[in-house]
Amino acid sequence: MSQISESMPPKGGFSFDLCKRNQMLVNKGLKQPSFLKTGTTIVGLVFQDGVILGADTRATEGPIVADKNCEKIHYMAPNIYCCGAGTAADTEAVTDMVSSQLKLHRYHTGRESRVVTALTLLKSHLFSYQGHVSAALVLGGVDVTGPHLHTIYPHGSTDTLPFATMGSGSLAAMAVFESKYREGLTRDEGVKLVAEAICSGIFNDLGSGSNVDVCVITKGKKEYLRNYLTPNPRTYVSEKGYTFSKKTEVLHTKITPLKELVDVIEAGDAMEE
Amino acid sequence: MGDSQYSFSLTTFSPSGKLVQIEHALTAVGSGQTSLGIKAANGVVIATEKKLPSILVDETSVQKIQSLTPNIGVVYSIANLYSLCSGMGPDSRVLIRKSRKQAEQYYRLYKEPIPVTQLVRETATVMQEFTQSGGVRPFGVSLLVAGFDDKGPQLYQVDPSGSYFSWKASAMGKNVSNAKTFLEKRYTDDMELDDAVHTAILTLKEGFEGQISSKNIEIGVIGSDKIFKVLTPSEIDDYLQEVE
Repeated sequence: MSQISESMPPKGGFSFDLCKRNQMLVNKGLKQPSFLKTGTTIVGLVFQDGVILGADTRATEGPIVADKNCEKIHYMAPNIYCCGAGTAADTEAVTDMVSSQLKLHRYHTGRESRVVTALTLLKSHLFSYQGHVSAALVLGGVDVTGPHLHTIYPHGSTDTLPFATMGSGSLAAMAVFESKYREGLTRDEGVKLVAEAICSGIFNDLGSGSNVDVCVITKGKKEYLRNYLTPNPRTYVSEKGYTFSKKTEVLHTKITPLKELVDVIEAGDAMEE
Repeated sequence: MGDSQYSFSLTTFSPSGKLVQIEHALTAVGSGQTSLGIKAANGVVIATEKKLPSILVDETSVQKIQSLTPNIGVVYSIANLYSLCSGMGPDSRVLIRKSRKQAEQYYRLYKEPIPVTQLVRETATVMQEFTQSGGVRPFGVSLLVAGFDDKGPQLYQVDPSGSYFSWKASAMGKNVSNAKTFLEKRYTDDMELDDAVHTAILTLKEGFEGQISSKNIEIGVIGSDKIFKVLTPSEIDDYLQEVE
């Protein structure tokens, strides 16, 4: 209809053109580069008044800890949050995109978003990418129909559960849940249990570590407790200080400030239209 | 008149240098219900008459003032509501939908709420495209966009031609000349938001046929909290009482 094309961002995502070619190369004997598995422990549980989500804060790049304090609990809507395990870029992009779609949906309907809406948007996106978007999610929230907790797997299947864990530390966390979970937990009991489960993942799984993030969602209210527990502080600092051997002496000292203060002069009139 | 031969195709200039279809669109706007906006020192108010074609219409289902983002709101002016079937109110719905999407796309790209001028520019671009494409007609609505961002409170008017202007106070629709004269007399730069609401109500009252009440006007405000909201009928009643 419109002759003039606006400059739009490119239609994102995968094109599957190269998959056939990759398969052909593998058949010919080429070793495919291995996937980077990222470790995580993410959990969620339903308690008396709502939903509690928890996550560790370590992001790994193979054997290296890339980020000691990353945020794995993503905002979806004022009443819905989502923990993400798997490739960090995938979880962030997917939750960002669905959060945006939910916001537009809220404008058009004039209603609070429902958890099943987020669930359906996420699972249909992940399914259409046939598992190539490596995002395993724990989605939780409270809407007009009550508290909900779901897990979403990278290929697009979902489960609805009273308590759930995902990521490389999921077995450690699930062990804690299976032994201690019961229905009708209070808020404090629930938070304590979630923290315990995440700590179990942090201490027993190499892919998870650092601190515990917790998010409590109830009807009409949410509490995002960033770094609720920090069981891994940096403790050792040498009291003696550091000395260098004789061959290393200070010859010259020059201090360059990293941040330059720039004076901004008020710009002139706005562009003529 | 030579012009009439060129008045049906919107992509053809008339000999006098006008695009007659757009003139017609502006006339459609000019015969619509009065809407106005006032920019105060600490906020913006937009208001409109909400004349329903019959008492049987459920007035709670009609909302002429909508929010585009948490800090930007819009009101439109159309020909009377009977023309909903000839495609005017729906025109505004299309524009509002597109604007909301553009604001959301901007946010996803820059992680910053869209500045008011940018959103107005994008909306105006859409409206202009429909004046220079084949097989479409211009939008039959003018929009008054009120927003509050880092540059402070702002009020813009966007026309069917795609041109937009920033206003301190503006009116459009049936009673536009009286309303603008009234506003010119009463407007002051250091007006507070509450004063602006009172002035808006008085301006609407000027050309109002019948008794003004909270059921037949709509008011939207945005203050220094940067949240746009449409006033509830009871809040409008409070203001009306203060004005009496």
